[in-house]
Amino acid sequence: MRDGENPGRATQPGWTPRGHRSRTWALALATALLLAACGGGSGSDSASRASAQAVAIKPADDSDARRFLTQATFGPDDASLAEVNARGFNGWIDWQWTLPYTPVLTHWDAENARIQAADASNRARAGELLQAFYQRALFGQDQLRVRVAYALSQIFVVSTTDSLLADQTRLVASYFDMLQTTGLTTYRQLLEGVAKHPAMGVYLSHLRNQAEDPATGRVPDENFAREVMQLFSIGLVQLNPDGTPVMQNGRPVETYTADDVKGLAKVFTGWSWAGPDKTRGRFFGWDGFQDPNRLILPMQAYPDYHSRSEKRFLGVTVPAGTSPEAAMAMALDRLASHPNTAPFISRQLIQRLVTSNPSPAYVRDVARTFTDTGGDMKAVVRAILLHDEARNRSRMDDPGFGKLREPVLRLTALLRAYGVRSNNGKADLRGTDNPGTDLAQTPMNAPSVFNFYRPGYVPAGTTAGARGMVVPEMQIANETSMAGYVNFMTSGIVYGFGQWGVIANTNGQQGRDLRLAFNRSSPAADFNASPLRTLARNDVPGLVEHINQRLFYGALSDALRAEIVDAVRGVPANSTNASTLEDQLRQRIWMALTLAVASPEYIVQR
Amino acid sequence: MTPSPASRRAFLQRAAAFATLGAGGPLAFNLAALSSASAQSAAGYRALVCIFLNGGNDGYNTVLATDDASWSAYTATRNQAPSSIALLRDVAPNPAAAASAPERLGGVLPISPVHNQGRGFALHPALAGVKALFDARRMAVVANVGPLVAPTTKADYANAGFAKPPKLFSHNDQTSTWQSFRPEGASQGWGGMIGDLLAASNGSGATFTAISASGNAVWLTGRSVLPYQVSTTGPIAIGWVDPTSGVRSLHGSTLGYQALRRVMTAQPAGGAAARPLQADVAGVYARSLDAEGRLSSVMPPAATAPYGTPPTGGAAYDQGKDPMLQFIHPGTGAATGSSLARQLQGVARMMVAGQSLGVRRQVFYASLGGFDTHDNQIAQQAMLMAQLDHALVYFDTLLGQLGLRDNVVTFTASEFGRTFTSNGDGSDHGWGSHHLVMGGAGLVGGDLYGRFPTYGRVGDTGGAFASSPDQLGNGVMLPGVSVDQYAYTLGRWLGVSDGDALSILPNLSRFDADKRNLGFLA
Repeated sequence: MRDGENPGRATQPGWTPRGHRSRTWALALATALLLAACGGGSGSDSASRASAQAVAIKPADDSDARRFLTQATFGPDDASLAEVNARGFNGWIDWQWTLPYTPVLTHWDAENARIQAADASNRARAGELLQAFYQRALFGQDQLRVRVAYALSQIFVVSTTDSLLADQTRLVASYFDMLQTTGLTTYRQLLEGVAKHPAMGVYLSHLRNQAEDPATGRVPDENFAREVMQLFSIGLVQLNPDGTPVMQNGRPVETYTADDVKGLAKVFTGWSWAGPDKTRGRFFGWDGFQDPNRLILPMQAYPDYHSRSEKRFLGVTVPAGTSPEAAMAMALDRLASHPNTAPFISRQLIQRLVTSNPSPAYVRDVARTFTDTGGDMKAVVRAILLHDEARNRSRMDDPGFGKLREPVLRLTALLRAYGVRSNNGKADLRGTDNPGTDLAQTPMNAPSVFNFYRPGYVPAGTTAGARGMVVPEMQIANETSMAGYVNFMTSGIVYGFGQWGVIANTNGQQGRDLRLAFNRSSPAADFNASPLRTLARNDVPGLVEHINQRLFYGALSDALRAEIVDAVRGVPANSTNASTLEDQLRQRIWMALTLAVASPEYIVQR
Repeated sequence: MTPSPASRRAFLQRAAAFATLGAGGPLAFNLAALSSASAQSAAGYRALVCIFLNGGNDGYNTVLATDDASWSAYTATRNQAPSSIALLRDVAPNPAAAASAPERLGGVLPISPVHNQGRGFALHPALAGVKALFDARRMAVVANVGPLVAPTTKADYANAGFAKPPKLFSHNDQTSTWQSFRPEGASQGWGGMIGDLLAASNGSGATFTAISASGNAVWLTGRSVLPYQVSTTGPIAIGWVDPTSGVRSLHGSTLGYQALRRVMTAQPAGGAAARPLQADVAGVYARSLDAEGRLSSVMPPAATAPYGTPPTGGAAYDQGKDPMLQFIHPGTGAATGSSLARQLQGVARMMVAGQSLGVRRQVFYASLGGFDTHDNQIAQQAMLMAQLDHALVYFDTLLGQLGLRDNVVTFTASEFGRTFTSNGDGSDHGWGSHHLVMGGAGLVGGDLYGRFPTYGRVGDTGGAFASSPDQLGNGVMLPGVSVDQYAYTLGRWLGVSDGDALSILPNLSRFDADKRNLGFLA
């Protein structure tokens, strides 16, 4: 237990200021200091520093650590709790960045090889992509990297709803790996990774995009040029450094015009599949011109198909005859350094990790880190997670703070909290799109480049909407999907999640692949080892408190606690038949967890 | 000109009376206490069905001008390497041609509007069913519709000071603008606001005034009316429902089931103001449980005629495999499950359920995605047109069998049309586009409404498309008909009074009174 520890005397074994990493941390700390100085009123900078370090670096208790992990991972489990407690918030972030990176492509390629060995005409598809994703999300130690990559996948969206990406999911696996790696370098490098990745080229159709032809009237494809501005960098309206819109005569000011789109569209001509030459066949991807790794290599420039004319956009003029590579660099430099980009991207990342309605000060502080570090994405993530607005637990009582957990994260949080295992080791959970029966969400399968939900979504007829709050995740919460969610989780709590298969250490018993110790199909040995079993038998309040700590970071309301305790007690656990008693104990756990994950308290992350 | 202050005030008062009921409150609003000029005239049953074509449907290839002058400009502009996006005239389909080749589809399908504006017209080759409905006068075409603040000429457009809808050409913002007259972030749309005006005639069934078969759409949200999301499989019951007794339980416990309902709908201890997000989630749950409880006994099952095909041999019903809900994919030739037909099946079932709950006015939302044809346009749009064509015919047939054909008007919408120019295998974001309206006796079908745009050319003297008063850069259509006029014409048929229409359609007053009604609904 860490409850009794005095956060004020915490020293930081994991934190030694050195090198670039410590500089970025120093900036985040300075941010926290500013806030502490404003709000704390101590009047002494050293006292503020000590106070800020205490708030920002060390979890006050297990609940505080789990709350942090709810923001920074796919959900706290016992191992990650121990890691945060041992290292402190900042030290844990440092350590996370040092963990080796595991490409999702590794699993995809291995599965593809296995599938093709059996049937050369077949290949790995969306299922194998999702397996690879859930392996990292559920079992990866490098939670922060994968969680941030997942957040980025909802800003820089490609989707397997696209027919070619659905057919060639190796493209998407590779794209996710780019987000896991380049996504944690600088924003400028990330933007280039996005712009040149063939998955994005396919998705927003700038792959094989050709120069204009004034003689015939053919024009360049504007798709990527428009969305890279609207969604991936500067947004539609001019922003102040704190993310609020610049107003002129009572109206927001648009950042670009149709002419900017036209000019930028010419930049993104002449890019196509990678390969050893720049022939017409290679550009168009004809049979016989398909490099075996073209799905995972950055696109290359084909000068013959690139617009040679002058290109004007956002005040930049690319001279006629500039090479495609140089033109793209000029465009990405312009977007990365635009004053909108830091607050635009910072605010969305805050929304993905911490809260839907960050204060302007929070956005401003994170955006400042973005700007001051040259768009160092690790520094930005650190600034988001260590900001007072994220860490200070008094915010939990602020009606405007928090966010809805999106359905996929509601699922992963439950699975990680209770030690999920994969029967076949693949984490074989397929698409969960169906709102009536599943989650109304599948990773990397958003309906469009506008993601599953919009950062500015205002839910109709709600208290939040009336208060002027945005609630992005509410865009996929409706009468059908919320009932479907409850049924999906109810079923999974009983039977497990994912594909059916053989359970290890049983006599060929079948069960769902992602299995919890108390599932109906879990062997007795597993169930006996679960701490929940003992609690279900002897200590119902203790059972609910166990759930409170793991799923609610200690914030369960008295009313919900009483409701769950009563319902669990309503399930008898008194059979004299040993086998029946085991069933009863499992049923008690199912009851408790179903009520927990169905509750609005669980769905809202504070 | 502004909306009549009196009507606006009355509307806001009614809305305020609604608003005090709160988001998480009971669903059986006391609507009888509210009155409205619009609702008082509501008799019989009427419904509007919006089919939103997500991504921006290419109107230029949906309804085509086929007179020689138009056709020549069309072909010259759209037949570009490497993959022409110019459809063909007067040719038979060539199944041996590539899916991306216009030859595969065959020629466009001629139609003869009652008023032909001195030009020839045709529909996309995959719209054979729509053509038959047009010929039978149960389908009309409204040309060049789009969001406008006021009637707008090319000269007006070029004037930076002239008011235009903000954030043109942006998917999410123009979707929102079509539905709510505001860019993204709007909280009320005109479908829902029509619902506000008419919900009083729905009595205790008012919950089912605005219904989405396709996720959360701002169009259906009013000041008081909230959209109910119907699953394509019907209302979703939580927990376990005993098939014999109907008794509901959770993990074998009826008390547990009751606890689950309480847990889902419990308002936070400090009230909604203290925990708005939690309160709002509880509100969605409450609506879900309430609606399921009321619909489960009155909603006809999908797997029965005339809605669907009953499965044989004891098999479970699978909408994806129901031949009634499959269209022929023009690329593969295979019968393919139609998301849109599944949605419309749910819409029809909700119409029947609603009527048995005393509902007299409904607005519905369905959608079909994939229209953002920046590339591979010929194959992609053909697949979507085939799906739309099949779904409209399915729905028209179904409504006929239910005796509801004269009670329902179905119309298309889409965030924008597309450029006239080609980017080599697709088209880019535009503004105005053509739309389809389907209906029974109330529809003055078989005709074309709104002036069909004149086609210019890239090489026009004075600049690209200078010869057309209707085309902007890249041949984008400058709308000739505003969404306000389109909405007014539809809403009026449903029973919205002129005064109320002015209060919910913010730009309508800037259009001449005699031009607001487009005339396609009697």
